[in-house]
Amino acid sequence: MTPPPHVDALTPWPATVAWRPVSPKLITVELIARSIVVLVLLAGLGVGWALAPYWLWPAGMALVVVYAIWRSIVTFRAVRAWGYAERDQDLLVKHGLLIRRLSIVPYARMQFVDVTAGPLERAFGLATVQLHTAAAASDAKVPGLPPEEAARLRDRLTALGEDRAEGL
Amino acid sequence: MTTTPGDIGEPRRRLHPLSPLLHGAKSIAVVVAALSWNTLQEVGLGRFALVVTVLALGVVVLSVVNWLTTGYHVVGRELRISDGLLWRRNRAIPLERLQAVELRRPLLAQLTGLAELRLEVVGGHKTEAPLAYLTVRDAAALRERLLALAGRTTGTAQPDAGPRVAPPTLEQPLVRVSNRDLVTSQLLTPQAFFLPVGVAFVVIQFVVEAEWTFIGIASTFTAMAGVLLHPARRILQDWDFRLARDPGGRLVVRFGLLETRSQVVPPHRVQSIGLTWPLLWRAQKWLHLRLDIAGYAGEHGSDSKQSDRLLPVGDFGTARALVWDVLPGVDLTTLATSPPPARARWLHPFALRYMGVGLTPEVFVSRWGLLTREMTLVPYARLQSVRVVQGPVQRLLGLATVHADTAGGRSGEARDRDLAEAWALAEQLAVRARHARRPAPPPVASVPPLTPVTWQRPHRP
Repeated sequence: MTPPPHVDALTPWPATVAWRPVSPKLITVELIARSIVVLVLLAGLGVGWALAPYWLWPAGMALVVVYAIWRSIVTFRAVRAWGYAERDQDLLVKHGLLIRRLSIVPYARMQFVDVTAGPLERAFGLATVQLHTAAAASDAKVPGLPPEEAARLRDRLTALGEDRAEGL
Repeated sequence: MTTTPGDIGEPRRRLHPLSPLLHGAKSIAVVVAALSWNTLQEVGLGRFALVVTVLALGVVVLSVVNWLTTGYHVVGRELRISDGLLWRRNRAIPLERLQAVELRRPLLAQLTGLAELRLEVVGGHKTEAPLAYLTVRDAAALRERLLALAGRTTGTAQPDAGPRVAPPTLEQPLVRVSNRDLVTSQLLTPQAFFLPVGVAFVVIQFVVEAEWTFIGIASTFTAMAGVLLHPARRILQDWDFRLARDPGGRLVVRFGLLETRSQVVPPHRVQSIGLTWPLLWRAQKWLHLRLDIAGYAGEHGSDSKQSDRLLPVGDFGTARALVWDVLPGVDLTTLATSPPPARARWLHPFALRYMGVGLTPEVFVSRWGLLTREMTLVPYARLQSVRVVQGPVQRLLGLATVHADTAGGRSGEARDRDLAEAWALAEQLAVRARHARRPAPPPVASVPPLTPVTWQRPHRP
């Protein structure tokens, strides 16, 4: 039996797809969001240290700082790992560094599209598009899109979904 | 209540006048149970009866009000249900989204000749629109009508008013599970095996301590009942299990002793089929078949309220015939699967031999499990999305897991495949799902042929 022509052991199939990256501004957004969380944590630990001086408090603070630095370094690569591709029949989304995920969601299976933007995302002009199917497990979420790209993707997805809609 | 002139002439219909009484009786039983025997001893019989009567009257009045405000009618291809006194609620259920219809008859309803009609639609975690209660005749007629409206082929809405009596259906029986097999199968469960151990433990304890208190005995019985509840409930629910095919090609499942249920599932609503070979049934070579339908929220499938049985217990031959009936073209004996690569042994030291996936022309097959062997069949036409997931350990070994998601909640899983194979598998699943979705596939030249029955690992240099 011959494998499908475009599959090759050396250049695996997803590498042949034209992946579109998400906006690099997402790195800034994630870093700011993380630093807010870290600051709150540090403040909490600092208050604890002031009330009950014990060596575990500064140790905890050091741990939080180290974790934050490590996560921040990872964030750069994680945001670059996000990618999506629109093929003529389905949407491909890949993300994750530690656990790598690739989702293939056919437009015909789309139930609805969510476009969300939190306050921080809005400040940087970003939005998140999420595609929902009838299966709870499928995760096709694309964060860090510029608003016009998000709107274009949303409109394209809904248009393609309507073309191919059927009652499950 | 009046209907607007725009409606297609059908007046709103009420539920059966006895339904408030049945609802009330259910609530009263709950109330009596809540008050418990302790209260009876404390307040005396007279007052107890008074309290129960007052509560019962209140419940019945509420039920009557509820009954007066509840109505349903069919408009076009929608079933509209309105209920509520203070919070009016109008629901329109589009019938093309109908997944399955179930007719339930709890004990009281059986005594009074009534039935509850439950509709399953996608997206709800609980059953939308239980119509409780209708007469059996009305319920059957309504069910027939809803299914006819929901069917794609008979899509023309028939605007004639009133219930039409269903034509006498000539069902073709497929399977009937004998009650002896059912009881035997439920005795061959871990719970039932624990019973003698439990009895021995309790008897020894009593003999040693020589103390026969009422509390002790009562709590022992409660514990026993708790252990036996699951198999006993299974027996009661699956009693007299019958499966048939109606003239429209739909599956009709009937089962239950105290609460009889009859469920109609159009064949294209079957999201996946699960097969289970429990350890203790292996001597009999029995297996269990499960039907996944969207709308029965089936993610955490331990709830016995679910109606997802295709075959509670049966031998391989029966299962094979049944699978062929539900998914035409799928023969259980020819489902070849290939195991994951040998280096997946690091992740599954014992169970590796029993894991495998295969692509047949109709379904995606995956099987796993060392003690309890399981198999899932997902028709390509029902695939919602495909995912490839690779965890850190899998990356070290060059493995990945492919998920084939369905709307039924359970997904087909190809665990720990070779990475290149996983990519190819995902691409194949996507391509095949696209082909299967098409009602009449036009010949496309650029698509790889669907001839391979089993997926073979790509050869690596």
